[in-house]
Amino acid sequence: MKVRFWGVRGSIPVPGRSTNRYGGNTSCVEVRPAGEAPIIVDAGTGIRRLGKALMEDAFAAGKGKASILISHTHWDHVQGLPFFSPLYRAGNQIHIFARQRDLHLEAVFSQQHHAPYFPVPLSAMQADMHFHELIEGARFNIGRARITCARLNHPWVAIAYRIDVDRAAVVYCSDTAPFTDLLLGRDFIEAPKLGTLPPPVREELDAMRAGVVALARGADLLIYDTQFTPAEYTSRPHWGHSRPDDALDIARTAKVKALALFHHAPMRSDEENDAILAAVRESSRAAGDQLAIHSAYEGLELTLGDNP
Amino acid sequence: MKIRFWGVRGSIPAPGPETIRYGGNTSCVSVHTASGALVIIDMGTGLMHLGNTLMAGAFGKGGGRASILLSHTHWDHIQGLGFFPPVFVNGNQFVVWGPGNSSAQLEGILEGQMDPNFSPLQSLKNFSARFDVRAAPLGATFGAEGLRVTAWEHPHGATTALAFRLEEAGRVFVYASDVGYPETGPTGDAIEFYRGAHVLLHDSTYRPDDQATRRNRGFSSYEDACAAAAAAEVERLVTFHYDQDYSDDDVDQIVAACRRTLAPRGITVVPAREGDELEI
Repeated sequence: MKVRFWGVRGSIPVPGRSTNRYGGNTSCVEVRPAGEAPIIVDAGTGIRRLGKALMEDAFAAGKGKASILISHTHWDHVQGLPFFSPLYRAGNQIHIFARQRDLHLEAVFSQQHHAPYFPVPLSAMQADMHFHELIEGARFNIGRARITCARLNHPWVAIAYRIDVDRAAVVYCSDTAPFTDLLLGRDFIEAPKLGTLPPPVREELDAMRAGVVALARGADLLIYDTQFTPAEYTSRPHWGHSRPDDALDIARTAKVKALALFHHAPMRSDEENDAILAAVRESSRAAGDQLAIHSAYEGLELTLGDNP
Repeated sequence: MKIRFWGVRGSIPAPGPETIRYGGNTSCVSVHTASGALVIIDMGTGLMHLGNTLMAGAFGKGGGRASILLSHTHWDHIQGLGFFPPVFVNGNQFVVWGPGNSSAQLEGILEGQMDPNFSPLQSLKNFSARFDVRAAPLGATFGAEGLRVTAWEHPHGATTALAFRLEEAGRVFVYASDVGYPETGPTGDAIEFYRGAHVLLHDSTYRPDDQATRRNRGFSSYEDACAAAAAAEVERLVTFHYDQDYSDDDVDQIVAACRRTLAPRGITVVPAREGDELEI
């Protein structure tokens, strides 16, 4: 399979000179099993360009099929959907998977597309759209690919996905706070005081971490939320994002082969991202890890497993 | 009035090497008045960058205040709000004037943007700053930070958007983004609203060929912008709200075409570009 990054940024798109090399579009990753339809993870602004690329083949003729796995519906992970060109072509089959919470999935996406926020309602999309609501622990197939998922530690609800196909596995794990200081099932707005945890919360966090480690076990590539520096985490633990050391910890425990730092903070410049990558590689080498480390940038393409 | 462009792009932020020069952030313009007060027009992603700059001054200490004029509530005009640091500082004060049958209706729409399905902020109530939302009166002049402001409602596809006329000591700035005229072009009442502006910032989303196939979206072509500027006899035209698929080179051509049309009439064309300033 091939994995290609179309959007690597967290929170809000950031056009401009200082983010030009890594890219300013929000989360979108294309997973392409050999000879099969694309499996897209998240629909941030990066999906706009992916949509244009897809319109160069079967999707232009209304014969395309794509599956979109949504980690959660925060705006930076769904904003590109109304600008995904294949939706505007009759005959295309688009399957959308997500974990819903209080509203049916189709209602959430309808709200996104509806007046007074957007001019074209979801019901006016010409493609056939199918919504699939997931629960934690859901397992299903898309073509030859096996999909599994696990709950993450993020405000409201977010899930990680594992895609197994072509004798390889990629795991997408964005957005999550570390599983140490607080549980974001309830929703914090004020930054909580870090420190002691009541036992039931400790157990729930341990279980959540175990679920993520199990999901990532032996993966060829782990894509992980590393939005925060340690100082940023300390001041905003309730935002639900991790630091590079949290990603290294999970990667090491799950014995993955490669790690991609992902969901870069909006104001993080290209030079700062370079420096973070160098520091993470150094610290991983010093710890004796056998781990390839990438920092995701728009256009990065990785080949995993069999690719005839 | 000192005008600064923080976001000039239409519909969706367009990061990438081909939009670096004009910028890829969505609509946001700041106006500093002669007395140093601040009026902000639209809250696209450019608002985050304005906010980061403001935090170095009074807004960083909870002593800032500004009026925000909102043309309409499509996402590209409100997306920056949750990322505008001054709203998280206790003591700052904001008044938003935007479209709505009532202030409560407009506030409800902005509250919907913060819905926990879409945003971790969950509610406007989590802003620390004072944040008052008011439906802008149509036709009647109201005051904002010492400026005299008039709002005008024009068609925008299936809906409408507000244009604003800002006046200070006889100097006039008109902001008219997301304007979808009938096929015959700018209407007489719109032209009267723009009449004599020192600066007319006007929707220039499309080239005429692209507009022809996307009429229902409710945007102007640069030819509409030129026609409005010429008929209203303005001093300067600012092109604005470029289509997300247009590269910097495409925008260069739009600006050149506007200059060819308007130079013989003595109207200066100024392309909106992130970071640029303009004084009236």
